Amino acid sequence: MKTSRVGIIGIGQSQFKARRDDANYPELVREAVARALQDAKRDLADMQAVVYALAPDALLGIGNAERLGVDAVGARNKRFMRINTGGATGLSTVAAGHAHIAAGACDIVLAAGGDKVGESGDSQTILNKIWDPTYERQLPLGTITMLAMSAVRAMHKYGLTEEDMARVTVKNRANGALNPNAHLRKKVTLEEVLASRYIAWPVKLLDCCPQSSGGCAMVLASERYIKDNRLEAVWITGIAHSSESYYIGDRMGNNFQADHADAHALREACERAYHMAGIKDPAKEVHVAELYAPFSNTEFHAVEAAGLAPLGKSMGMLREGEFHIGSRTAVNPSGGTLCTNAIAVSAMARVAEAGLQVWGRAGAHQQKGARVAVASGNGGDHQFFGAAVVEA
Amino acid sequence: MTAIAVVGTAIHAPRDPKRRSLEEAMYDVGQSALLDAGLTIEDIDGVVVGANDQLDGRAIAIMMASGPLGGVTRDILSTPSAGEHALVLGALRVATGQFRTQLVAAWSPLEVTSVAEALKLGTDPYFHRALPLDELSAHALQASALEHAVPGARQAAYGVVAKNRAHGVVAYPDRASAPRERQWIEGGRPIRWPLTDTMVAPPAYGLVALVLADAQFVQERKLGPSAWIHGMGWATEPGFLGDRSLASAPAMAAAARQAYEQAGVKDPASAFQLAEVADATPYQELLAYEGLGLCGRNEWAKAEQGERFAIGGALPVNPSGGALSFNPVYCTGLMRITEAANQVRGRAGNHQRKGVRRALAHAASGFAMQYNTVVVMGDERREVRP
Repeated sequence: MKTSRVGIIGIGQSQFKARRDDANYPELVREAVARALQDAKRDLADMQAVVYALAPDALLGIGNAERLGVDAVGARNKRFMRINTGGATGLSTVAAGHAHIAAGACDIVLAAGGDKVGESGDSQTILNKIWDPTYERQLPLGTITMLAMSAVRAMHKYGLTEEDMARVTVKNRANGALNPNAHLRKKVTLEEVLASRYIAWPVKLLDCCPQSSGGCAMVLASERYIKDNRLEAVWITGIAHSSESYYIGDRMGNNFQADHADAHALREACERAYHMAGIKDPAKEVHVAELYAPFSNTEFHAVEAAGLAPLGKSMGMLREGEFHIGSRTAVNPSGGTLCTNAIAVSAMARVAEAGLQVWGRAGAHQQKGARVAVASGNGGDHQFFGAAVVEA
Repeated sequence: MTAIAVVGTAIHAPRDPKRRSLEEAMYDVGQSALLDAGLTIEDIDGVVVGANDQLDGRAIAIMMASGPLGGVTRDILSTPSAGEHALVLGALRVATGQFRTQLVAAWSPLEVTSVAEALKLGTDPYFHRALPLDELSAHALQASALEHAVPGARQAAYGVVAKNRAHGVVAYPDRASAPRERQWIEGGRPIRWPLTDTMVAPPAYGLVALVLADAQFVQERKLGPSAWIHGMGWATEPGFLGDRSLASAPAMAAAARQAYEQAGVKDPASAFQLAEVADATPYQELLAYEGLGLCGRNEWAKAEQGERFAIGGALPVNPSGGALSFNPVYCTGLMRITEAANQVRGRAGNHQRKGVRRALAHAASGFAMQYNTVVVMGDERREVRP
């Protein structure tokens, strides 16, 4: 059955920084909501439902902290629910908002959230608690060590080098310098990345995303509402998820179920989203990819999972100048998660940036002529993957 | 929206929690719901779970659920705001046409040292964390406000406990809470004034799962008895208790309005053969009578004395015994919806009421019923009118 079209009519991102001492948690969310509403030329009273993005409660130190966000998003006595799929939460929240409209339950929905990762103390200590307390939590696992192991596997399997990883950082930091919403806006050189200290070999400090505080919001609406109110919109034409198994051990050693070098569930999510959007050859049809890649090495397997490069070939393509703004497909022209990571909304920012690109409103980091974009989100221990196709 | 049905359910209370891990219990409840539907996991397009990090002792509680509930390679999402929100999102996803089926699940383990302390983390750290404010004390503030606002509310509340416990001992004799006699209920020890230890049930280990399917799938697969969703509403109160009048429930009324409009319910007091409503405390059930349009607050005492809401009465409320009989804190809401669906499907077991053609389910979660969800289900296949 074909679902009815869902449009994005407003996008708002707060200022992302390491600390936002000027705004408490609900105020950060409200900042993004106010911008999205202004962009959509709507007010809170118009919203028929709110879907709220919040990843681990522990990052804020408040259980079910979405409850404190209810007034910030104007949801009192309205439809409201929170989504959490870890780092994929923001995209999953857009997917849930999409479902509200595609189901015919609502005509206009606010998707919003925020995070204060930069003020959480040490996010890696908290993120160690995502692992099973009996089997894997005792290991020194964090999201960095987990994905450093993916880099090691990619080195073995595809010949990934630390220089390849550094090239991703150099590209994304240059892009981030053009994006006023990005947290890290300073360009870096290949030498600087390679000279930065190791966090978990082979991942170095400048291969890592920052811990950001900020909010993101989007207003979604039905095609009927958009036409009746003569609003401008870009369209979510495909949106889907897939998931890997929980245990890291299932992706390693003999008889592994999935190869930790790759992102097979992200590939499934992208294929489902492309199928829904009617995209047959993403390498030719997609102009912009905003792919959730919190560590430089993970952008390679994300690019490959999104069908923009054959397995193991994306490193060579980047060396040859692909994936920059102005090339066939710009990857993370906003600077991506490598420049800004407020976990609860990072994947929503990917959809938001994809939307701005196909709308032609991305400013200095605009990919010229972009009409089709793909966005992705990764959550859990490289477990939950979401993908969305946004078209002009 | 298309027509959506509950086609399979399972409610699970592991007999020996220390020897049955949460992961194994999740597998059991998911498989049981699929078995009840006559389906296998291969028939499931997507999964939605309601999972609470604090009670599970995990930073992203959905992660572990992915395996035992068949999330691997599937589109799985989590609604940590409330277990019952998983049902709402699951139904919306089927209604989009993007999915034909959904497995919906929620659970509430006893793995934390103190459920009260885990839920206390839900207070804001600046203004309320220093107070002795956990979920139960918020419920107690609500009870206190109702006692102040409605003369006779306490006596009516005792009646609700006695009624639901009498139901519970029939429905699930192996796990129904005590005491069941009114004189013992009235003699309880205060735990969060005005609530006493006999007026609430202790936290329990429980899990619940449902299978949802669209009308075409139900027809094609010739599935057994179905509970069709006729209307669905959900709404929230603000987060700070100080911003609310705890003796009223405007979000519940808003959720009921949405569901009744969709279902075409004009007079809720006479529209249903049965209701399952939130009853973490008996005061919540009383508030639900009013918020759902079943009975005004000035009639609470009379209704309880006249046994209108008892299993033999005009509108049995919580024939399953409700959360006052069995209280897996985080998933009692989804259990209310499941119990109502089972009554419509004729599969409620010991407490099945004859001739249930349309049932009302109400679920609440959070401090003093912050989140409210209302679902109307019937045996007649019907498209939901948004």
